[in-house]
Amino acid sequence: MSAHAPTDSSPAYSTTTPPELQRVPLVLGQRSLGWISDKISSIVEGDTPRWWWYAFIPSFLIATLGFAAIGYMITTGIGVWGLNNPVMWGWAIVNFVWWIGIGHAGTLISAILFLLRQKWRTSINRAAEAMTIFAVMCAGIFPAIHVGRVWYLWYPLPIPNGNDIWPQFRSPLLWDVFAVSTYFTVSLLFWYMGLIPDLATLRDRLRVQALRLTDPAAKFINKAKQALYGFFALGWTGSNRHWSHYEKMYLLLAGLSTPLVLSVHSIVSFDFAVSQVPGWHTTIFPPYFVAGAIFSGFGMVLTLMIPMRSLFKLEEIITERHIELMCKVTLATGSIVGYAYGMEFFIAWYGGSPYELYAFKNRAFGPYWWAYWIMVSCNVISPQFFWFKKVRTNMVAVFVLSIFVNIGMWFERFVIVVTSLHRDFLPASWGHYGPTWVDVVTYVGTMGFFMTLFLLFIRFLPLIAISEVKGVTPQADPHHELGGATREGARG
Amino acid sequence: MSAHATAAAHAHAEDHVPTMWERLPWMAAALGFLGCLAGYVFEGPKNFAHAYLVAFMFFLSLGLGAFFLVVIHHLFDAYWSVPTRRFLEHLACLLPWMALFFLPIGLLSGDLYYWMNVDPAKDHSLAVKQVLFNKATWGVASAALFGIWWLWTHRLRGWSLRQDETGAAECTTAMRRWAASGIFVFAFSLTAAAIFWMKSLEHQFFSTMYGVYYFAGSVWMTLATAYAIALLLRRSGRVPMMGQEQFHSLAKLLFAFTVFYAYIHFSQYFLIWNAAMPEETFWYAKREQGTWAIVGWVIILGHFVLPFLVLLRIDAKLSTKVVIPIFVWVWLMHHLDLQFNIMPLVQPEGPAFLISTLGALLFIGGLLAALFLWDLRRHPAFPLKDPRMGEVVRH
Repeated sequence: MSAHAPTDSSPAYSTTTPPELQRVPLVLGQRSLGWISDKISSIVEGDTPRWWWYAFIPSFLIATLGFAAIGYMITTGIGVWGLNNPVMWGWAIVNFVWWIGIGHAGTLISAILFLLRQKWRTSINRAAEAMTIFAVMCAGIFPAIHVGRVWYLWYPLPIPNGNDIWPQFRSPLLWDVFAVSTYFTVSLLFWYMGLIPDLATLRDRLRVQALRLTDPAAKFINKAKQALYGFFALGWTGSNRHWSHYEKMYLLLAGLSTPLVLSVHSIVSFDFAVSQVPGWHTTIFPPYFVAGAIFSGFGMVLTLMIPMRSLFKLEEIITERHIELMCKVTLATGSIVGYAYGMEFFIAWYGGSPYELYAFKNRAFGPYWWAYWIMVSCNVISPQFFWFKKVRTNMVAVFVLSIFVNIGMWFERFVIVVTSLHRDFLPASWGHYGPTWVDVVTYVGTMGFFMTLFLLFIRFLPLIAISEVKGVTPQADPHHELGGATREGARG
Repeated sequence: MSAHATAAAHAHAEDHVPTMWERLPWMAAALGFLGCLAGYVFEGPKNFAHAYLVAFMFFLSLGLGAFFLVVIHHLFDAYWSVPTRRFLEHLACLLPWMALFFLPIGLLSGDLYYWMNVDPAKDHSLAVKQVLFNKATWGVASAALFGIWWLWTHRLRGWSLRQDETGAAECTTAMRRWAASGIFVFAFSLTAAAIFWMKSLEHQFFSTMYGVYYFAGSVWMTLATAYAIALLLRRSGRVPMMGQEQFHSLAKLLFAFTVFYAYIHFSQYFLIWNAAMPEETFWYAKREQGTWAIVGWVIILGHFVLPFLVLLRIDAKLSTKVVIPIFVWVWLMHHLDLQFNIMPLVQPEGPAFLISTLGALLFIGGLLAALFLWDLRRHPAFPLKDPRMGEVVRH
C-alpha cells in the first residue's frame, strides 16, 4: 500500500500499515478450503481418542450421581437441602443463575457478534452455541426441582384448569419461565440451522467414503450415518437458493436472538431487584446481570476451547487472536461488573438507608466475607491481567484465569442470594446457611451432565462451523493479496 | 508529505477568511449571551440557573460521548471509524473548555443545589454523605473532572496529530494505552459528573443506574451529531474515504443506543415503581405532576419508539432525507430528557418556555461550535497516516 495524492479539498494520506500493527489472519497457514473440511470433519470421522473416554466416563458417572441425588430429594422432600428460614433460596437458585449466565456466551457470539460483523466469531460460535444449550438445560433443572413437588411443574404454564387457577403473571419468576424457555428454543434453532450445511458436508463425505468400503458391517454403519446426517441436513445441496435462504434466516434469527440474550438475564435480575430486600433492590441489576452473564459465558468458552484447540490440534483455526479477543471481551465485561459492585456499595452509603448499608457491610465483613472477597478477586481483579498481551497469549495463564472467572461468578450469585437473606430486617430471625451433601452432589452432577453432553457433541457433530470458517480465510477475501478462493498457491 | 499536509492545514487556517456560515456560531453565541442576560434579569436567577444547567449537561453529553467513541475506537482496534476519529477527537477536546461554561453554575450553585443551604444536622440524607456533599469537595471534584478530561482528551489527540507527521506505530500504541486507562477514567468521571451536577439537585434521590442512564443518552446524542458532521465533511470533500460503511455503522450504533437508553431508563423506572419505596418513588412522582406526565410519555415515544421504528431499515439509515430530521429530533429528545431531570424543581407544574433555555443553548452551543470549527480548520480533517486507513480504502 502507498501514499494517496492530495486533492483540492483533502491532503495526501497514507494507507501503509507498519509491520507490528498488521492484522493476523483468522485462519493461519494459508490452508486450502479442502484442508479445513478435512481437519474439522476428521474429528467426527476418526477413531474416538482415548482421552475422550477418560473424560466421558467420569462425566457420565458424575451426572448419574447428580440425578440420583435429585431422585433422593424428590422422594424424600426438599428438607434434604440446606434451605432454612430465613435462607429459603440457597444453592438451587445460585446454580440456576450461574448456569443461565454461562448460557449467554453462545447466542451472544452467534447473534450479537454476527450483527456487529465480527468475523472472528466463526471459529468459536458452534461450540459456544452448544455450550449455551447444555448450560440452559442444566439451569432449567434447578427451578424445576426447587418446586418440591415436581409433578405440579406444569402450574406456571397458563393452561385453563378445573379450579380456574392461573399463574401469578406479576411475578418475575413466571417471566423467567417464558424468557428461559423462549431463549432455549431460539438458541436451539439457531444452533441447528447453522449445523445444516455442515451436516450435509458430513453426509456427502460419507458417500465418498462408502465407495472405498468393502466390509459389509462398515458399509451398513456408513449407510446408517449417511441416513442420519442426511435426515438432519434437510436435503441441503449448497445451491445458490439454499444459501440465499440460509443467510436471510440467519440474519433474522440473529435479530430475534439479540433482545433475547439481553432479556433473559435482565428478567433473572428482576427475580431479586423487584423486591425490597437490602442488597437486592438496586436499579443497576439488569445491565449488571447481563454483563456478568456474558463475562461468565466467555469464561466457560475459554475453559472449554483452550483444551479443545490443543487436543484436536486446531491452533490454525482457533488462533491466538481468537483467544486474545475472547480475553478482551472477558476483560470488558469483568470491568463493567466491577463498576456495578462499586456503584452498589457507593449508593448503599449514599442513599442513607441503614439497612442497605448494613447489607453491604455484612457482605464484605460479615460471616461470609470470604465469599465476597473471592467474588471480587476472581471477577474484578483477575480479568485485569488480560490487559497484558503476554497473558492473553499464554494459554496456561488464560485457562487458569478462565477458571477463576467461573469460580468468581458462582460466588457472585452465592453472595447475592445468601448474604442478603441470612440477615434480614429482624435480627431475631437471623440465621446461617450451609449446603448439605445433597446440594453439593446435585450441583456437581449438573457439571457432569454438562460435560457429558459437550463431549457427545464434539464426538458426533462438527466442533467448528466448517462453512463459516471458510468464508473468513484470507483467500476468501477478494481484496486480499492472495485473492480469490482457489486451491492454487495454498498449502494442502 | 504529512508535515507538508499539516503545515498546509495551518496555513489554510491562518489565511482563512470566515464565511457567513463560519460567522454563524459567533452570532449565535452573542445572541445567546444576550438571551442569558435577559433570562437572568427577567426570569430570575433560579430559573436561569436551572435552564443553563440543562444546556451545560446537554453539551457535556457531546464531549463525553465523543471521548467514549474515541476510546472505544482504539480499544476495539476498529477500522471503519478511522475517518470519523479526528472530528470526534475535536469534540472530546471541547470538554476542558466546558470549565469556562461551568463558571455560572459555580457562581449560582446556591440557587441550584438545595443541599448547599441545608443544615446537615437536620437532614439525614445529607448528613450521611456530608463528606462528599459539602461546598469544598464539590468545587474540588468539579475542577478535578475538567483537569482529568483535559489530560486524556488532549493526550489522545496529541498522539493522533503526531501520527499525521510520522505515521509511527508507537503513536497507535500510545493512543491505545491512553484509551485503556481512559475507559476507566471515562466511567468514573461521567458518573461523578452526573451525580455531582445533576443527581445532587435532589440529594435525597439515589439510583445505581443514574450514571449509566446519563451515559446512554449522551452517546446516543453524540452518534447523531457525529453522523451529521460526517455528512457535512463528505460533502465538503475533506474526508474522501467517508463512505457508506461509516454512515451505516454510525446509524447502527445510533439504533443500538436507542434501544440501550430505553432498556436503561425502563429498568430504572420499573424497579423503582415495582418496589414502591417512598425514598425512591418521590423522584418519579414529582415528574408525574402536571404536564410532566405528558413529557414522560413523549420521552417513551420520542426517545425510543419513533427512532426505533425509523432506524430499523437499512435504506432509512442511509437516506439523508430520513436521518437529518431524526438527528434534529434526537437533539430535541435528549434536551427534553435533561429537562425532565432538572426543570421540575423550578417548574413543578410542567415545562414552560424560558428565554434562558434558548439563550443558554445558543451561548454554549455557539461558542463550542466556533471552537470546533477552529480545530477542524487548523488540523487535517482525518488521521492521515492511521495504520487502518488501508482497510478503510479497501472496504
